[in-house]
Amino acid sequence: MKRISHPSQLQDWKRRLLAERRSCDKTIVVSSGTCGQASGSLQIIEALNSEIEKKDLRETVGLEITGCHGFCELEPNIVIYPQGIFYKKLTPDDIPRVIDETILKNKIVPSLIYEDPKTGRRFPLQKDIPFYQKQVRLLTENNFRIDPTRIEDYIMIDGYQALAKVLFDMTAEEVIAEIRASDLRGRGGAGFPTGLKWQLVRNAATANRDCKYLICNADEGDPGAYMDRSLLEGNPHSVIEGMIIGAYAIGAAEGYIYVRMEYPLAVRHVTFALEQARARGLLGNSILGSEFHFDIHIVEGAGAFVSGEETSLMASIEGRRAFPRQRPPFPALEGLWGKPTCINNVETWANVPLIINRGAKEYSKIGTVGSRGTKIFSLVGKINSTGLVEVPMGITLREIIYDIGGGIKEGKKFKAVQTGGPSGGCIPAEKLDLPIDYDTLTQAGSIMGSGGMIVMDEDTCMVDVARYFLHFTQEESCGKCVPCRVGTRQMHDILTRITRGLGEEKDLGQLEELANSVQSASLCGLGQTAPNPVLTTLRYFWPEYEAHIREKSCPALVCKDLLVYYIEPGKCVGCLLCKKGCPVEAISGERKKVHVIDQDACIKCGACLEICPPKIKAVFKYTGKKKGKILKKKLS
Amino acid sequence: MRIMINGRQLDVSGEKTILEVARSSGIFIPSLCDHPSLAPFGGCRLCLVEIKGRQGYPPACCTYAEEGQDIVTETPELQAIRRQVLELILSEHPHACLMCAEKKNCDEYKTTIRKVGEVTGCVLCPSNGRCELQDVVEAMKIDRVGFPASYRNFDVRRDDPFFDRNYNLCILCGRCVRVCQEVRGASAISFVFRGSQAVVGTAFDRPLLESGCQLCGACVDVCPTGALAERASRGEALPDEEAETICPLCSIGCGLKASLRGGRIVSFAPTNAEAVNRGQACVKGRFILRDIVYSSKRILKPLVRRNGELHETGWDEALDFVAGKLKGYVGKNLAFVSSTQVSLEDMHVFDRFTRDVLRTDQIVSFRNHSPLTSFWKEIRMNGQPAELNFDLDSISTAKTIVAIGADIVISHPIIWVEVFRALRNGARLVVIDERDSGLERHASFRLRVQTGREFSLLNRISLKLLENNPENPHSQVKGYETWRESLLNEKKAAFARADIDEAEVDSAARLLAERQPTVFLIGPSVVNSAAGSANLRALWNLAQVCGARLIPLAGENNERGAFEVWARSSDRVLSIEEAHFKISRREYKALYLAGPLPALPDAAADFLVIQDCFMSENARQADAVLPAATFAECGGTFVNVEGRIRKFKNIIKPLGEARPDWWIICRLAEKMDARVFGFQNAAEILSDLGRTRPVFEPASHWQQKKDNPVFIFEEKKDAGQFLSWESPELAVRKAEARSSPAASARDLDYYRSLNLVEESKGLRKLRKLREK
Repeated sequence: MKRISHPSQLQDWKRRLLAERRSCDKTIVVSSGTCGQASGSLQIIEALNSEIEKKDLRETVGLEITGCHGFCELEPNIVIYPQGIFYKKLTPDDIPRVIDETILKNKIVPSLIYEDPKTGRRFPLQKDIPFYQKQVRLLTENNFRIDPTRIEDYIMIDGYQALAKVLFDMTAEEVIAEIRASDLRGRGGAGFPTGLKWQLVRNAATANRDCKYLICNADEGDPGAYMDRSLLEGNPHSVIEGMIIGAYAIGAAEGYIYVRMEYPLAVRHVTFALEQARARGLLGNSILGSEFHFDIHIVEGAGAFVSGEETSLMASIEGRRAFPRQRPPFPALEGLWGKPTCINNVETWANVPLIINRGAKEYSKIGTVGSRGTKIFSLVGKINSTGLVEVPMGITLREIIYDIGGGIKEGKKFKAVQTGGPSGGCIPAEKLDLPIDYDTLTQAGSIMGSGGMIVMDEDTCMVDVARYFLHFTQEESCGKCVPCRVGTRQMHDILTRITRGLGEEKDLGQLEELANSVQSASLCGLGQTAPNPVLTTLRYFWPEYEAHIREKSCPALVCKDLLVYYIEPGKCVGCLLCKKGCPVEAISGERKKVHVIDQDACIKCGACLEICPPKIKAVFKYTGKKKGKILKKKLS
Repeated sequence: MRIMINGRQLDVSGEKTILEVARSSGIFIPSLCDHPSLAPFGGCRLCLVEIKGRQGYPPACCTYAEEGQDIVTETPELQAIRRQVLELILSEHPHACLMCAEKKNCDEYKTTIRKVGEVTGCVLCPSNGRCELQDVVEAMKIDRVGFPASYRNFDVRRDDPFFDRNYNLCILCGRCVRVCQEVRGASAISFVFRGSQAVVGTAFDRPLLESGCQLCGACVDVCPTGALAERASRGEALPDEEAETICPLCSIGCGLKASLRGGRIVSFAPTNAEAVNRGQACVKGRFILRDIVYSSKRILKPLVRRNGELHETGWDEALDFVAGKLKGYVGKNLAFVSSTQVSLEDMHVFDRFTRDVLRTDQIVSFRNHSPLTSFWKEIRMNGQPAELNFDLDSISTAKTIVAIGADIVISHPIIWVEVFRALRNGARLVVIDERDSGLERHASFRLRVQTGREFSLLNRISLKLLENNPENPHSQVKGYETWRESLLNEKKAAFARADIDEAEVDSAARLLAERQPTVFLIGPSVVNSAAGSANLRALWNLAQVCGARLIPLAGENNERGAFEVWARSSDRVLSIEEAHFKISRREYKALYLAGPLPALPDAAADFLVIQDCFMSENARQADAVLPAATFAECGGTFVNVEGRIRKFKNIIKPLGEARPDWWIICRLAEKMDARVFGFQNAAEILSDLGRTRPVFEPASHWQQKKDNPVFIFEEKKDAGQFLSWESPELAVRKAEARSSPAASARDLDYYRSLNLVEESKGLRKLRKLREK
């Protein structure tokens, strides 16, 4: 492989690649990120390969394996170009049909195309699907076009052009000015202005005449969030290019990508990308023939959630226990090994080449006044179209949930959405028209966080949700400071008591007081934000807490200890199904006679409710007064 | 700069945290994780304050004072938060006694049924009454805990010697972990697990002994609660008296604080009083010293041999007996053996006694391999301006430290603490040693060279330095040409034998050239071998080339003092090995042993007197045994490795009939009708010493000023020159002729004739582990 020692060679390379590109009649693009592979994309690829081989289509049909396409709900999926036909949830058995019908006869296979669960409308083309239509996919769109293991693919879509521009046409100050003009804010959660951070590191570094570092934070620990994974897996070079540009701007010679070891595919793709970039002279000594030297190391995290916090991430790189430390001093002044350090999130770095290529002016047309550009959210929970969505800042929650996400599953009622992962807050239905940006979310008691978005329907108990998230944070607290280590545990204990029906009136006051103390006294972001789920649910769903405490009832019918399972005598047909299905033999009854649940023996697993045929639907969950009646009846 | 705390204007100089400023101005801010000798941590969150114009509640321990800050330490919000945080701490810590309404009565009149155990209350806790958590609860007037108690039910760890670890009482302030990592450089313990499972522990939950712990006890000293507690003082009541003393064991002479109860020593702990050990000690000073004083081997009454048996007797009779016998040997073949762990006063009296009364020439005291004496003989006696005095700070501020044959982690733990301090400040460590000592894991370069061939490596480094620096500033120095000639001559013959990698030599040389100041710590194995002379000369020459400071490490506490009293200008001093050799050949008619000597053959002399604190093999065959008092029972003066002169007072009365060494000798001299000296107290002896030996002049007009250290007087000499050195081949051949046992750090595990390894099971375990 030849090293590129001048920007013009980069242009030549791109031209040559485009010219040499095999012109295929059709190209099949397989989404094969971690999510795709988990759903079977590797088998699909195998089937496609053998089918193409069998039909001798090597010359005319291209097969491209890319990173995640974002629409997780429909994995494994493929897109067939040039038309852009989207086939969902494929199995290897579908492949012969795909080849025969679509590739050879140009016909669409109706059973494989996407059907909107709400309207029933069918969409053969990827671009028409509502999930994609409302998105502005500045960063994620390229995932359709790039084989992440081939640097050539990235070069062909103008990859490393921003770097060439920066290295040869711009001074470091101009780069920082450009980023500042774009109003880019950190995508890791706190939303600190990126340009300002770079400026601080640059100033600190020149003041100390010291070496400095640059870090890409890819320790994406929020459950149900995988924006960074998708970028690293699907388009690693965009992150690397952003980092090199950042290094040039702040004057760093060494950078780190701190990535979770739970992301083996991302680690593999990034490692590969770094090697390719190095071999091509895009990384390492005298990048693109300039006088700028910069190299990147990969550090794999060992699975601690708190490592995503910048100071503990740096402690982890240094080989120490991932304990955060009190700020100030901020990493911009004293970071990795005590040197000025610029640390940004994966998505932030990926935005950098974009801003340079498009220009800050153009970039900042997207989004709202305080929050520019797009943001990727991972939309999960009780929603029809789960997946990664990239939307302009300022879009409303309603648009994301109903237009992009296709609404709530099974037509149920929307109850709340949790943004920002376990340290975010729950936003209720009345805030659905909230335009999403850093500031509005904070006002609503939540945070942007790294972009997790968990949608909850009416069957969700908010007390239980708060308990669930506190369970996560109290387990993931590093143990250094008291409020976070013991406070989250105590909050979790109180919430557990409430969900078990053991709550007392005074618990709510204590919970709120404790939550506030943990928020203001904790050392790092983990503890400071851990009470958010509690505080927001207390704020928006107070009556639900009261019901748990006063009436010992769970309105959403979730908290086991507050429920009874009951077979309505009027509906039961005596089919014996539930009796057979009960794991603890708590149901008695004979054929064609009404079955009864022995409430003392019942473990409330819900097997009877699942088994009871939908036509009959004789098993019910009851809470509160009705529950009391049923239990009393049993006594009499 | 000026800052304001609670409306009070305060002047601050230097970089200080708000907590430090508040403490020094008498403003109370509760805190549990902060410790003066450790870096800020910010874990307990009790010291939160408000700073006008700044968001949130920054912790005072991690926030540095800045010009114009307006700080408030008490507001209703702060109090509420602190209260909650403390309640959270207490929810995991046994607090029944802390919250008890009968607390006060219980302390005074024991009104409650004292059934509450360590699991829930304080009364059985080893730290009851000296617990920082109790103090904070008291100060913040907490009288209830709003959260249900959630104790952690850990087993108490009792696998290790000397102290227990009861993590049920741990509040995770991290002080023990930090002192182990930041100060002692051992990193034997760490936080393990996460979240509410987090706890302090060792790797794989092994005993401390198997985790690289040296049992220095630093963690025990910083623990704010009873989680880490010395086993020996468990169950002892609170001390009613405290007294300061100096550890008599190794040449550092750590300042120690003894806690006493009813006139009996309960425990020793390091003090911060002088800039010597700065609150640190080692396993021996921290845990074993008490057992030394109260050892079952102590001799408590004078013994005299009658009819072949040793019988207890009074001082008069014993002294009469010894005096009568000794008179017959005056001026004849008689040897007097001294310990180097006795005070200057004792040494001076020994010196005068042997010179003026016994009129013998033989004083025996030094172990063969004292780097101090060898260094003096080889370098200073050759007219070189080698200084012996130094300051421990010169180690901690060095940029390069070379430890050669020095097992300092074991032999001089406090020097290791200083070396580690330097390493944390960016210094580099080079270890030159054949054996593994554990030091090498901190080293930038570890040069493994056969013991006895160190000179070869050192010369190669010197030569490398000369080659790398063409503008040689040394060429005018006396002896340079001869030395350089000899280096070049030997290059092929000798250097080729050394199995050192050329690249390593090159790197080490570059380090020495680039990073200064440089300090060489010289341990016993360098001087002990036959090549000792060649080694020391090679070291000296190398030090001339790279401008390094050479520090020969004295072994036992008053070794430097003994050296100044006798060895410096006299040839009547033998080493223990030499003496033992002569005694075994029955060259002496009488022996007076006031110091340790390896077990003697039967009937080694016609008359044998033992003056010691402890019963030994030799004492069993003595004609008379005179009980000496230990350091704890008599005051005196010690000189440590730095040349620092320090006084100490007795902390208890002499046990039994034991008496200070100088007292015994003075009274014995009187019995022998020698009226040349009749000292009645230590002060008289010291002023006599100051008069007769000018180097001790600073000690005789002593002023007890803590920030004004007193050092041995040392005259400065002119610039040094290069020393020629013997052909190594010759030296090695000589070596084979008089081989002596390998030096080891265990040589220092003695107090006078008491073998601490035999005496203490814990120390035995620790040392055994190392030998594996």
